[in-house]
Amino acid sequence: MHALVQGLILGILTAGVYALMASGQTLIFGVMKVVNLAQGAMVILSAYLSYQLFTSFGIDPLLAIPATTVVMFVLGVVVQLVFLRPLRAEDRSELSLLVTFAVALLLEGIMSVTWSTSVRSINTSYANSSWSVGGYQITLVRLWAFLLSIAALGILYLLLNRTRLGRAIRATVQNPESARLLGVESDRVSAIGFGLGAATAAAAGSIYGLLYPFNSGSHYDLISRLLSIVLLGGLGSIGGAVVGALIVSTSSAVVAATISPSWSEMTFFVILLLVLLVRPQGLFGTTARGAI
Amino acid sequence: MMAALLEVEGLTKSFGSLRAVDSASFAVEDGSITALIGPNGSGKTTLFNMITGYLSPDGGHVRFGGREVTGAASGSLYGRGLTRTFQQARVFTQLTVEENLTVAAGYSWRQLFGRRLSRADRERVAVLLEEFRMSHVADLYASELSYGQRKLLEFAAVLMSQPRLVLLDEPTAGVNPVMIATMEHHIRERHGAGVTFLIVEHDMPFVMRLCDPVVVLDRGHEIFAGPPHAVQSDTRVLDAYLGS
Amino acid sequence: MRSPRSLLGTVRGVGFFVVLGVLPWLTPAHWILNILVFTLMYAVMSSAWNLVGGFAGYPSLGHAAFFGIGAYSMNLWFEHRTLHSGYEPFLFLPVIGLFAGLVGLGVGAIAMRTRADVFAIVTITLLFVTQTLAFNLRGLTHGAQGLSIAVPPFPLATFERPFYFVLLGLLAVAMGISYGAMRSKFGLSLAAIRADEDKARGIGVRVLGVKLLAFSVSVGLTAMVGGVWAYYEGYIYPQFAVDPLVTIAIVLMTFLGGRATLWGPVIGALLLETTQQTLAYTLGGSQFYLIAYALVFLVVMLLMPQGIVPSVQDLLRRRRRRSVVDGGEPAPGADDPVDPPAHSPGLGQSMTAANGRG
Repeated sequence: MHALVQGLILGILTAGVYALMASGQTLIFGVMKVVNLAQGAMVILSAYLSYQLFTSFGIDPLLAIPATTVVMFVLGVVVQLVFLRPLRAEDRSELSLLVTFAVALLLEGIMSVTWSTSVRSINTSYANSSWSVGGYQITLVRLWAFLLSIAALGILYLLLNRTRLGRAIRATVQNPESARLLGVESDRVSAIGFGLGAATAAAAGSIYGLLYPFNSGSHYDLISRLLSIVLLGGLGSIGGAVVGALIVSTSSAVVAATISPSWSEMTFFVILLLVLLVRPQGLFGTTARGAI
Repeated sequence: MMAALLEVEGLTKSFGSLRAVDSASFAVEDGSITALIGPNGSGKTTLFNMITGYLSPDGGHVRFGGREVTGAASGSLYGRGLTRTFQQARVFTQLTVEENLTVAAGYSWRQLFGRRLSRADRERVAVLLEEFRMSHVADLYASELSYGQRKLLEFAAVLMSQPRLVLLDEPTAGVNPVMIATMEHHIRERHGAGVTFLIVEHDMPFVMRLCDPVVVLDRGHEIFAGPPHAVQSDTRVLDAYLGS
Repeated sequence: MRSPRSLLGTVRGVGFFVVLGVLPWLTPAHWILNILVFTLMYAVMSSAWNLVGGFAGYPSLGHAAFFGIGAYSMNLWFEHRTLHSGYEPFLFLPVIGLFAGLVGLGVGAIAMRTRADVFAIVTITLLFVTQTLAFNLRGLTHGAQGLSIAVPPFPLATFERPFYFVLLGLLAVAMGISYGAMRSKFGLSLAAIRADEDKARGIGVRVLGVKLLAFSVSVGLTAMVGGVWAYYEGYIYPQFAVDPLVTIAIVLMTFLGGRATLWGPVIGALLLETTQQTLAYTLGGSQFYLIAYALVFLVVMLLMPQGIVPSVQDLLRRRRRRSVVDGGEPAPGADDPVDPPAHSPGLGQSMTAANGRG
């Protein structure tokens, strides 16, 4: 019982950072109908950037977030403009999967060359402090990570719901055709949407770097987790991504705490298959399958 | 009294807060050419999608040939003789005209692993191509056809299943007058051969010439059903068109 | 009854296999044969991938998982049997293929119900989950330590030959299936699914059944290659048995050569596998190698998404059309001389050559 509750606490605290990564991923899908397989690599790249800022200049990763988000936003826009925009519309969704996969490998290669493949971790002074609440361990880092992720998600929410740009993005997500008719420049929205998705990956990456040791190959593990979250919640639904992150993260943590850590790494896949069996469109997804 | 081939009863569909079709009820008599008209956005295409199994209704019933088929899969309805065309002429542009017809023919597992174009299929395709005067373009890709020809091809293709009821979604929209006459000719010809039609159309002269009865839909609701000459004088219909 | 073009196709096919069949006698060098063995592996896998990724338009990113499943299944054989002549493990290949095909059927039944995006995501997730399992299921795989398999008792001088010919046989099977698909209504169904799945379903195409069959056969063949690979290499490490780079290589080869064509995947494999070996030798470190590979991929996707075979076909078609016009014959008309290739089945013809011209 104790292990179960401890697992639940850990799962919920970890869910924040996954929710952040996944909302960027699902946002990109919503705006461009592109499944970004490079999202995980972008997260890891940003973790490396934070690592570099920390080791070279002693900048705390949490304070580095503004810098990494800007860098990754630009990178996201560049990826969109250079690699995705030239694809022909009729097979864009199919080719974009492969192109973003290639971008992920490219980033992986660049990271391995720059930082080698040995595992890195960011050891801040508070990395090991924790509290004990009623017999349950809560580490400071995880709590910070959780709160910051929630804050970043809040900013994303405000951006999408309270600004003109956000309205344009949401209109594009709901109906690209009518958004175009209303004067939304879809090319610009796509570029910015991809940039925003990358920026959330950046914020999440700085936090991720604090929580876990990582190397250039870590994005494989991340991407499968992220994709499961996004599919679970329903492609294109940010709320769904948050719920999906909660489900995946708590169930993995609970399985790790109660059964075995090695099985926890495939818990999400089993859950994903079960959900798809019952609801092929995901929990909050729509059945939209192109215009009928 | 003739039995209704298709009965739609209280069919309802909402998209979010928008009620696209609101408890629509009407019947299509066996052997008729029924028109379904209404102002833009009155839910005609949504209705078509629900009847032909492309969209599952929130409520209501569809009966075809006296049997309940609500929510049946599009493919199985096709097999039972209920088929349709699309407003945008959905043909397979990457396949040839001949292949577009072949692909619409039967699918037993044995046929699946037989030749791409079996002898029986080839003969039926040839007959249809002849009837639709498309033999000379049989080997062209559908992408090489004009829009009107694509519409004709889609119509011809659904006839491969020897349907009892064909739903045509705006067969004349976007095509030239000659093609409209051609379309009308083929509908009459097939009607003569025993096929029943349900047609959504905005071209009123076309509807008046060809269809009887006419069903008028407004905001997802049936407001009139009767012979074409009575439509023009019906006040509810005038209100619906002019008021909106 | 046969058209001259289809005769030409047959000649081409027979010629190709005859040349490959005598090649081991012409080139005694082991390193060349080694490259050839790997090229054949990729040619089989690309042809197999093409069945589902090309013809049906469902881009699987998880084929490497089935490659790994095949490799580890082969190890199971060695744990329960002993080698005599060295040929017995090959007889086990069909069982591997069948098993992987069944696994594929199960995964596909869940992942293929909606759209190609979801399918791609589930398959790539399957890939990483399989890799994790390969590391974690130590009882079966020995985890990161890896497994080693008994050395095949083949004479050293002709060591590669058994593997080479088994793979050549698999290639013949894979290409035979592709060829059969292109000539049958099965292939026509796949093409319809790829073009407009909803519409295809609406006109009675057995959409799910056909997709599943294509996927199942495709991963079955891939697993068989995995089995041969394990036996040939003699060791299995999780990171090589279930390697995302295998997936990306297969996909890249198919795209480079041309999706939904008979020869495209084979040509892609021939070109890329040799390039890959060169890159691996000259760039040494695997990191630069990864960058180079990713860049090649991106360039192909952006500059030639159609692939070599369809581009060449397009060119020939246009030239033929021009020569017809120059010759003063009526161009499009009652007897259009510009005969689209797709309906007269010849080797190497694309079902989708018109793609991109509409």
